[in-house]
Amino acid sequence: MASNRVAILIAAMGGEGGGVLADWIVRAGQSAGLAVQLTSIPGVAQRTGATTYYIEMVPPDGTRRSNSAPVLALNPALGEVDIMMATELLEAARAAANGFMSPERTVLIGSTHRVFATSEKIEMGDGRYDAAKLLRVVKDNSRERILFDMEQAAEESGSVLNAVLLGALAGSGRTPVTVSHYEAAIREGGKAVDANLAGFAFGQAHARGDLEEMAREAAKRAARNAGAEAPLARARTTFAGEALDVIEEGVRRLVHYQSLAYASLYLDRLDRLRKAGADDRLLRESARHLAVRMSFEDVIRVAQAKVSAERFARVRREARAKEHEPVLLTEHFKPGIEEIAAILPPGMGRAFIRWGERTGRLNKTYWSMRVNTTSVFGFLRLWTLSKLRWWRPRSLRFQDEQAQIERWVDAIVRAVAISPALALEIGECARLIKGYGDTHRRGSANYAAIERAVIGPALSGALPATLAADAVASARVAALADPEGASLSRTLAEIGDRTPALAKAAE
Amino acid sequence: MAERSFKEEVKSLRLGDGETFRGEGILAVTKAILQAGVGYVGGYQGAPVSHLVDVLVDAQDLLDELGVHLETCANEASAAALLAASINYPIRGCVTWKSIVGTNVASDALSNLASAGVVGGALIVVGEDYGEGASVIQERTHAYALKSSVWLMDPRPDLPTIVRLVESGFALSEASNTPTIMDLRIRACHVTGEFTAKANVAPSISRNRQLSKPAPHDYAKLSHPPSTYAHEKLKFEVRLPAARQYIVERGLNETLPGELDDIGIIVQGGLTNVTLRALERLGLADGFGGTRVPTLVLNVVHPLVPEQVSGFCTGKRHVLVIEEGSPNFIETAIDSILRKADVQTKIHGKGALPMAGEYTAEVLTEGLLTFIGAARPDIDIGEPARRFAAVRERRARVQAALGSPLPLRPPGFCTGCPERPVFTAVKLVEREIGKVHVSTDIGCHSFATFAPFSLGNSILGFGMSLAAAQGVSSFMDKRTLTVMGDGGFWHNGLLSGVSSTLFNRGDGVLIILQNGYTSATGAQYLPSSAGNRRDDQKTSDIANTLRAVGVKWLRIQHTYSLRDMIKVLREAFTAKERGLKVIIGDGECQLARQRRIRPLQAAALSRGERVVRTRYGVDDEVCTGDHSCIRLSGCPSLTIKPSPDPLRTDPVASVINSCVGCGLCGEVADAAVLCPSFYKADIVQNPSWWDRLVWKVRATVIGALQGKAPVRAMQPAE
Repeated sequence: MASNRVAILIAAMGGEGGGVLADWIVRAGQSAGLAVQLTSIPGVAQRTGATTYYIEMVPPDGTRRSNSAPVLALNPALGEVDIMMATELLEAARAAANGFMSPERTVLIGSTHRVFATSEKIEMGDGRYDAAKLLRVVKDNSRERILFDMEQAAEESGSVLNAVLLGALAGSGRTPVTVSHYEAAIREGGKAVDANLAGFAFGQAHARGDLEEMAREAAKRAARNAGAEAPLARARTTFAGEALDVIEEGVRRLVHYQSLAYASLYLDRLDRLRKAGADDRLLRESARHLAVRMSFEDVIRVAQAKVSAERFARVRREARAKEHEPVLLTEHFKPGIEEIAAILPPGMGRAFIRWGERTGRLNKTYWSMRVNTTSVFGFLRLWTLSKLRWWRPRSLRFQDEQAQIERWVDAIVRAVAISPALALEIGECARLIKGYGDTHRRGSANYAAIERAVIGPALSGALPATLAADAVASARVAALADPEGASLSRTLAEIGDRTPALAKAAE
Repeated sequence: MAERSFKEEVKSLRLGDGETFRGEGILAVTKAILQAGVGYVGGYQGAPVSHLVDVLVDAQDLLDELGVHLETCANEASAAALLAASINYPIRGCVTWKSIVGTNVASDALSNLASAGVVGGALIVVGEDYGEGASVIQERTHAYALKSSVWLMDPRPDLPTIVRLVESGFALSEASNTPTIMDLRIRACHVTGEFTAKANVAPSISRNRQLSKPAPHDYAKLSHPPSTYAHEKLKFEVRLPAARQYIVERGLNETLPGELDDIGIIVQGGLTNVTLRALERLGLADGFGGTRVPTLVLNVVHPLVPEQVSGFCTGKRHVLVIEEGSPNFIETAIDSILRKADVQTKIHGKGALPMAGEYTAEVLTEGLLTFIGAARPDIDIGEPARRFAAVRERRARVQAALGSPLPLRPPGFCTGCPERPVFTAVKLVEREIGKVHVSTDIGCHSFATFAPFSLGNSILGFGMSLAAAQGVSSFMDKRTLTVMGDGGFWHNGLLSGVSSTLFNRGDGVLIILQNGYTSATGAQYLPSSAGNRRDDQKTSDIANTLRAVGVKWLRIQHTYSLRDMIKVLREAFTAKERGLKVIIGDGECQLARQRRIRPLQAAALSRGERVVRTRYGVDDEVCTGDHSCIRLSGCPSLTIKPSPDPLRTDPVASVINSCVGCGLCGEVADAAVLCPSFYKADIVQNPSWWDRLVWKVRATVIGALQGKAPVRAMQPAE
């Protein structure tokens, strides 16, 4: 057997430069005097799909029993990949799931960052595949690993991911090819040579340090304590344990969002829960949801976010603008009757909505607005809106939201007495209500349907406590399953069928 | 202007005697046809053989020197018809296409060509798009070779063998007056390797050496009765024996000797490497071409030479036939050959090996374990069998540990693709008028059949979508929607679809996506492209063509304007008058556009000119993580990231830096009334003094209002 053969499998996505990477390796191998063969199946996968490149290399001193050229394979074989290279974590895991990697044999060189698949992105809640599972699988199926966030490394070195990956391969010393051959291959390629060499050097350094990094956590924004000292102090004296950090965050947010008094209202509501006997976990989750619900998204809050100095700086960073380059921002707004009614006084707002209903204009008539926030006039428009915080408590939306929040808190308080699990599930239903326009309407309607058909009967005892928590949970999952609401109707019907009493109560 | 530039490869097409050619399989074929003195070349693009024609397009100087004519055909039928030149004239011709689909389209011309026969070598290079990475229906080209009596080569996938067989292919064709197909699997087309080149040969009849008079009238060269009766006899009485004789005399097939001489393997040439490596895994081969099991490698899989097959099998108790795909034509033919020769070898084939699917390393390892176990139970393969079982078990454990299957990653629309907004518009219009039947086609736009659009009820082949909608239209109370690309339109859709529908007074909505290239195959020119490889002129205009064939309701709509696209679609679906409604969705392929404008912008930037770069973004503080925008867009640059808000767990939308600023996400947020998170950022590079002045004024005022240090707030945080 030609035991000094090296089999390299590269997993990549179309458009990522996997082909260029494979060509570099082939070129380097050839100039090192090896027999090298590359095959690939690009086809339409070149258009963002998952694809692989397979390379075999044999040093010239290989044992030649038949005195002829080595037979090189065109497909990878199960468990026979010596070096697995992956431009992304899921694609590395895919190679493991397909059986190509081996814990006795495979050296894994890959990036830990994620490029999410469409099916993960389109979920209404969180559809991301468990990254910890992916990491575990690739680690369990490799002999050694060079794993780090190569996307970040490319960004930092002003290069591209495939150059970093090549550098890591060279630095690993696991191929019978020297670093200078790899470098020469980049130079021969003739495109963006300096940038590629920079990425190559970066990858090589990482590989030599055998650095392992977990997938990056997103940087949490700095906490803003200023002006919120009083309610924060109250929070610290009233609450302890694992809920406190979330409660503090909630306080900070609500002071910024509205006022000190509003933050006190937040603490009052949480205090009701505490007195009702909520445990730490329930307090923590409720505090999280309550803060989000109380800082509901109205035009004032959007304007606040859009005109803040931190946001301007962040956008510049994300757009990679250089210091002297102006960045002109255009916002896309499209308010409708509901959004405008929301900031009117309750009487006027309701009348406006009724008018909209009568004339068929509600949810049909919208005003498309493009606001240039970096112009003086455009900025002033949003800035003026952002200064309307004092007005907010007088608005229709505020009144409606507070009523709904009270009902939701009541439900949790009553549920604590029945079962902590049920209380937790009811609290979690707040996740359904989010967003703007259609999204907000759909979420609110879904919540109302669950409240009517499941939460109500559970609190009144029509639905046995043993079933209630599960029923609420499955209804919530169903509500997030599809935007058309088909799963939710089906699930609610099933819950109704299982409990005849419930069906009656729902009517 | 194809997607890839072949400047480097063109140089290797000029290599002379004794020089070393390095490159991928399909380019080796291109070099080989020039070495064989080819006089004309044609083809229709498609993976995995696009590069054969693409590289020649870039090698016009070389073709001019040699006098080789190159035809970038409108479809495979015209490519096949090109070979008619070799019926009357001793000139070598080569055409290429993707199979099985291309062979289907070419088959009428191919039948007629095969019947008349050729005097000049006629070689058809097909890319067998089968197995992993394939994009078409899974069928075998072999059936065409059998039914039309053309020869089929399936060479061992290494460059020297492929090159040798290209040259033999022309000669075989001439020796037997029959066109020859060279069948290359996907990986063989893309396999890299090297071979010793020979100088190119200028053809004796060519553009540079023209004939002064046509061939004399010879009725026998016409595929028309009564000649066709004579052709049929010739095929089996003259051409077939001649081909068999050539195959044996020139040693086109290979026999690998082995000590286990009571068993053997007969393998399609293309599967030789994977077979030998599977034997190595079992301890029965050395990895350098030596094997203990005698093996007959069929580089020519049609015709088989009965004497060669029965000779190989004589004295063997068991022989395994390794033949990918179904039906198992070769195995059946071998059975028949042995029966007639009264050779009592037991043939193993399908059964030990699966009926369908690619013969990968795993499949062949399992098949060989089964075969050796049955044919030579005395050979100890216990250890390799245990190892093989162990890796499979481990795979099962990995999959169990993962629990749920990994998300698939099918191909999709590129960032900024002009076709994506059309499908967004369709989804939004469907919210108003209800779901419609969608007849879809081949091309990039068929990615709309995947999430998040999931649009499409049938695919019937290239350019066939409109024809495929007409039966459905007859019983559907709403108009049907047909999607076709400009590639499909020129390939087949104009006549099979548009003319036929008009002629039958059909109704329905047809969207023609005009992106200017056959983009899915690598952005080759087509008749309505803004350019042409010869003179940079547009050849035909789709709108004019449609009007000329009698389309009355026609709208041309730029695709990025979502609101207008919705309006036009609504109008087409709700118009009172019957008849075909055609919408041309206009927008240049973004890949091609970026390739075109990037160098221009980079040059302008380095000259210090003012260049505005546009990208979109999502305010992560404003986004609440519902992902409606993603469900309506599907842009690779529009993705998700963890919420920066410690109180929210659902990930928020995010635009990454691959954004090309097409603006669809903003349009979607507007048209579908989603949310105020989206913003457009215009980055003014090399700002003028005016830009800087305006910016300074703005920054001062805005900074003051933001209550931060003036000016700095609008500059980087650092």
